[in-house]
Amino acid sequence: MNDIILRAEHVSVEYAGARPTRAVREVSFELRRGEVLGIAGESGSGKSTLAYALAKLLRPPAGLSGGAVTFTSADGAAHDMAGLDGRDLRSFRWNKVSMVFQSAMNALNPVTSIGRQFGDIFTAHAPEMDAAARDRRARELLAKVGIDPDRVRSFPHELSGGMRQRVVIAMALALEPELVIMDEPTTALDVVVQREILDEIERLREELGFTVIFITHDMSLLLEVSDRLAVMYAGQFVEYAPAERVATDPKHPYTQGLLGSFPDMRGQRRELRGIPGSPPDLREDFAGCPFAPRCPAAFGPCTTVPPVLREIPGESGWLAACHLHDSAYATASVPVTGGES
Amino acid sequence: MSVLEARDLVVEFRQRGGDTLRAVDSCSLRLEKGETLALVGESGSGKSTIVRALGQLTKPTSGAVLLDGAPAGRHGRGLRAYRKRVQLIFQDPFASLNPMHTIHYHLSRPLLRLHPGVSRARMSEMVIELLESVNLTPASEVARKHPHELSGGQRQRVAIARALASAPDVLLADEPVSMLDVSIRLEILNLLDRLKRERNLALLYVTHDLATARHFSSRIMVMYRGQIVEYGPADDVILRPAHPYTQLLAAAAPNPGMPRAQLVEARRAREAARAAARAAAEQVAGTAEGTGGTEAERREILLGDGCRFRLRCPHAMDVCATAPPDALATGSASVNGATPVAGAEPHHALCWLHAPSAVESTTKAG
Repeated sequence: MNDIILRAEHVSVEYAGARPTRAVREVSFELRRGEVLGIAGESGSGKSTLAYALAKLLRPPAGLSGGAVTFTSADGAAHDMAGLDGRDLRSFRWNKVSMVFQSAMNALNPVTSIGRQFGDIFTAHAPEMDAAARDRRARELLAKVGIDPDRVRSFPHELSGGMRQRVVIAMALALEPELVIMDEPTTALDVVVQREILDEIERLREELGFTVIFITHDMSLLLEVSDRLAVMYAGQFVEYAPAERVATDPKHPYTQGLLGSFPDMRGQRRELRGIPGSPPDLREDFAGCPFAPRCPAAFGPCTTVPPVLREIPGESGWLAACHLHDSAYATASVPVTGGES
Repeated sequence: MSVLEARDLVVEFRQRGGDTLRAVDSCSLRLEKGETLALVGESGSGKSTIVRALGQLTKPTSGAVLLDGAPAGRHGRGLRAYRKRVQLIFQDPFASLNPMHTIHYHLSRPLLRLHPGVSRARMSEMVIELLESVNLTPASEVARKHPHELSGGQRQRVAIARALASAPDVLLADEPVSMLDVSIRLEILNLLDRLKRERNLALLYVTHDLATARHFSSRIMVMYRGQIVEYGPADDVILRPAHPYTQLLAAAAPNPGMPRAQLVEARRAREAARAAARAAAEQVAGTAEGTGGTEAERREILLGDGCRFRLRCPHAMDVCATAPPDALATGSASVNGATPVAGAEPHHALCWLHAPSAVESTTKAG
């Protein structure tokens, strides 16, 4: 059984405070090996916090307040992420799971050369390599992401934004991890450069076969790159669906709203609107569905009963947390299929 | 008559070492009342410099800015009158409002200029009217707040309200939504669109997002390295791009609905095109070996007189290296020296592929 690489069970994250902010609330999912999972949502929906929790990168005031993350490596060994620390954690990061952050400018140290920063990774996570091997591997990795290997001598400021992002991706792949978490890897870049980076990631994935969690607020991009799509709202998954089909048939009203917020570049001109209102305060508890106050399809139970993420009847592997798709309320529901209404 | 017009605008910046950088290279554009013109292009293409020149925040090296056909005032009273009618909205609503002042203060300052000596009660009324016109309610409450108490979208609405305070005819919006969260971008763009219609404003929408450019504007200009390389009706430019650069931009946009197999195919095609462009560029670069200087300088030397896009262009021909496409003898309908592409409404591209003499010798890009 080597199919599931990562299993999250009821993962919750809190930011400590007088009234703690519950940024991620009981998120459970399974990630299949080799898959690209896209996580979408507005700012503050908890998508980055979830990614940090999965990579065990949370720092106070944030902390895991419940749940478990299990990582199964290719050799079949299961690791409970909560129990990892010290040397085990160090050998786990980069080797098994690595992360690409949004701002490549901040992810790279401005005062040391690119080669030196690769060296640091190898010294910390692969101490058996000697200086020559480290240099060789750094050059090899740069070439792999389409950068002149002699750039090991360059400093971050000597590279363009796109090149820096390539360097960061090369670093994330340095120790051939099985899972790469990418948090808005192309958001700060131009469309053309963004496309080059995406193509590069896709090509490397074909070559190296790693699994990806891809986080961005750009739905049209996410629909294209991911195999499965998770839509987050108020710290929860509200829809978890095959990406190819959710593009044309989103089930949750929030997903419909997000998709409606992006004009289609090539399609028909249509009236566009965003999602009225603003996201809820995550320090609060919700009596019903957290999206109910902004939802155009809200009805009776939405303000009183919290919806549970469950499979939509007749749609295998497609989950939504919405009473509209709950057979218990089938009689009361208004059909909201077909995107923008 | 166009309300705001730029003719052959050139903006140069002095660089270290005495060189000059031509950020805007003889660009002309017209803004019409009640119409949105989108200006798109990659970072560093000169979009913001054009906005700054039109807003008179940067002095053009040469060229003219005409308001209602008359040269724009550059100093004193003339400049103040110009600023009243041409207003800017910036990208970052966190930086464009003063954190020390209330929203009321931000809006009352420009109103005071327009209505000197107005009573305090009347001023409050006008501030509230402005806030309501940008859907910031309850307006009296918002007026008392400081910028830090508002979200990014609300701040951008305040910035728009402030721009409207002097009852302008022209709004120059420089990436007005790229700092905002996805779900509110459309609301701000819809707001700008509604204000444009209600107040008959001429709107310049600067963006790098082709999809919103197409949806919120009637005409689009595409900029590349300081030049306007394509200009035409929004749908034509996006759906039938004529310039290879616009084609590259359009091809780079995500394809959310596309089936997997097609995506892979499209990616392979892009990779092949990139490799070809790289090989061509390297071949050209080889001829410039030994001229010294940095890579970027060598590239500038290489570009010399030719088309600026040619090192990235999959259709580059011999002629592209020797003469700039803007030196073409163009017909009377030319804009920015660009050649008209066939079609009902004017659609121009600054490219040899669309020059009458070059068309026969090469296949037309599709």
